[in-house]
Amino acid sequence: MAASGEIRTATMGFRAKPNSMARQTNIIRIAIVLIIAVSWEALSRSGLVFKDVVPSLFSIGAAIGKLLTLPAFYANLQVTAWEIFLSLAIGSSLGIFVGILLGSNRFMSFAYEHYVYYLAPTPRIIFFPVMIMWFGVGIASKIALGALSCFFTVALSTAGGMREIDKVLIRVGKSFRATPMQMGLKIYLPAMRVPVLNGIRLGFGTATVTCLLAETKLSNQGLGYMIMQIYSRFDMPSLYGLLIIVFVVAGIGNLILGKVTGTSA
Amino acid sequence: MGKLLNSRAFAISTGVFTVVGVFVLLEVLLRIGAINKYIVPLPSQVIMSLERIIFEENIMSRVAETAYEMSVSCAAVIVIGVPIGAVLYKWVALRRAVLDWVAAMAAAPLVLAFPLFLVMFGRSSTTIIVMSVITGLAPIIIKTTEGLLAVRPVLINVGKSLKLTQQQMFWKILLPAAMPTIFSGIRLSWTFVLISVVGIEFLINLGGLGQLINDLAERYDLPGTYASIGFVIVVSVIFFVLLERVETWLRPVK
Amino acid sequence: MTEASSAATVASATQPQLVIDNVFKQFGEGPGAVIAVDNVSFDVKPGEFVSVIGPSGCGKSTLFNIIGGLLDEYSGNVMIERERIAGPHKAVGMVFQEESTFPWRSVMDNVAFPLELQGVAKSERLDRAAHFIDLVGLKGFEKRMPFELSGGMRQRVSIARTLVSGPQILLMDEPFAALDEQTRLLLGDKITQIQQELHQTTLLITHNLTEAVQLSDRIVVMTYRPGKVKRVVNIDLPRPRTSDVVSSDAFGHYVAEIWADLREEASRGMQDSENMQRGRARRG
Repeated sequence: MAASGEIRTATMGFRAKPNSMARQTNIIRIAIVLIIAVSWEALSRSGLVFKDVVPSLFSIGAAIGKLLTLPAFYANLQVTAWEIFLSLAIGSSLGIFVGILLGSNRFMSFAYEHYVYYLAPTPRIIFFPVMIMWFGVGIASKIALGALSCFFTVALSTAGGMREIDKVLIRVGKSFRATPMQMGLKIYLPAMRVPVLNGIRLGFGTATVTCLLAETKLSNQGLGYMIMQIYSRFDMPSLYGLLIIVFVVAGIGNLILGKVTGTSA
Repeated sequence: MGKLLNSRAFAISTGVFTVVGVFVLLEVLLRIGAINKYIVPLPSQVIMSLERIIFEENIMSRVAETAYEMSVSCAAVIVIGVPIGAVLYKWVALRRAVLDWVAAMAAAPLVLAFPLFLVMFGRSSTTIIVMSVITGLAPIIIKTTEGLLAVRPVLINVGKSLKLTQQQMFWKILLPAAMPTIFSGIRLSWTFVLISVVGIEFLINLGGLGQLINDLAERYDLPGTYASIGFVIVVSVIFFVLLERVETWLRPVK
Repeated sequence: MTEASSAATVASATQPQLVIDNVFKQFGEGPGAVIAVDNVSFDVKPGEFVSVIGPSGCGKSTLFNIIGGLLDEYSGNVMIERERIAGPHKAVGMVFQEESTFPWRSVMDNVAFPLELQGVAKSERLDRAAHFIDLVGLKGFEKRMPFELSGGMRQRVSIARTLVSGPQILLMDEPFAALDEQTRLLLGDKITQIQQELHQTTLLITHNLTEAVQLSDRIVVMTYRPGKVKRVVNIDLPRPRTSDVVSSDAFGHYVAEIWADLREEASRGMQDSENMQRGRARRG
């Protein structure tokens, strides 16, 4: 104990200069981006590689600009966003429901949880042919597949969160003779907020990948479809451009969800 | 009854019975025509078609192809990821600058870039391997750095008091101490790799098990498609269970 | 303090093995600075068992880190055989307060670790390690992994691992802090026995008064922040000693005598930390 006390006071004096550290971090970041950009551009102009594979940054920039003014881009974005939103809504609701069932009941957990646990990391995309048979080639099959993939993530996170509630808190609740309703609202719900929200955020990630990949396989709208269209034209600057846009949009989505749910990446 | 409900074996067999029950129920509903036979095949037909898949669809060479792509990707992920993780541990300023980026990489839908590699490498195993390595890299980097950072200072002090060289410190203390965490990173990465390998095989209709599903679906072989999906899932689950075994074996503490 | 150290030197003709001379260490600068160790001087003679005792926050652990060579920036001198140490010295073997066995190595491989570094041949390595495992009373546990052992046993593994390299000076930082009282007394017996057997020069850092009196030839009492030497007490209890000594009158006498000094310092420390909490509460 003595040691930890001393170390804590000891570090106080050293904690100066957070500003210079942040500046150093930023300088390194800018340097890395610059190095990559310059070597990319040099490689592109050198003609060492097939020109289409490494297009000039300027042409990628121009392609991004063009894509962002294209009405079709926004139409496709809307379709994909809607798919992801519905996948997340359906998958999370089912996931939370099943998660609570598995997490609150030892019997249910022993009986069924390992199925969920081992199915969760399997490649979801291979269920796509089945989803097409069940829900057709439209957006319904993508939503179903997206919901399926985020269901597992949310269910496991909820079940785990439920079991990890500090047993003392439950005993405290019971000692005050809380009703089951009160237990749920005042003890379980607040204690489970973080794992459930974290599960939803992770579910967003899997739903996004799954919906987009399904679109690349078979569809006539959505960003995944747009990527394949551009690919079939071998329009490399636009392909890079659209991929960058998709990564940025997904990143922003993840960030917003993280902020809203109060869980960090 | 209460005692029975608490028994683990009883719970597990209930689970098994439920699964079997669902199949039997499906079979009955399909046979009486309550569910459309052209959407869901008879479970009995699916099981029967397993034999056909195994003997007529070159299953061994397909498994071998997927296994080849998996092993190259899995090895590459370790060979590239662990050293990067170690560099980020050692080089504090670089770590502060890029660790967030690596974390963002883990969450980004990177697989979507597969058309890009199709252009570069054509429809080949190289495309699948390169894409899968990129997908699987982030978790192992993060976990390696995390594991090395979490090595208890007292173990490092033991090393210092015995005057270990930097090399000895890394190989004899830091790396073994971080090993359990690094391996959980390997498990995560390899899971990503499996999803990516099978997924891209399916998407670009090339190679092993992923293509099998695609082939059968395109032939509209309903029971075959279901059976092949089941087969791939069984293979993946076996892979995960093995990984988990190794991980618990590496983490004997408590 | 100089008084104390010169008195000790006069008392014995033997050349001191370890000399702590005017060691001073301050953390931070300006108004926030904390003086952890303030001009501390004492020495340890060959074969002697010396304890440094003081309340939490008296800079004991800082002193441990300086003597062990883990903390390089300090003023004053820590000398081992007339040589100022820079970095961990090969003559010093350290035992840490925290659990420090390697969880990925068996008891045998843990203890043999320093020999492995020295490149000792395998068969000799195992022989020597086995000897020290036996010495700390863990014979039969050679193949066990640390997680299969109790806290007391693991600490004994650490001690054996340190002893196997044959250090001239054994330096221990509250090695029994995490253990219960009974285990602590019994381990104390073990330490006494080993120390007598090997004539091991030992410096123990502790805040436990019974432990210090039970084991030591001499006790250096330190003040609460800044950490100075308040007093040096010679313990003239007969050797060989066992934990039975704790029930003797002489033992009680020593404990009472040192506690009088220590209480003053400990209560200052307690007041200080309470004030800090209050300040924090006001700010927060």
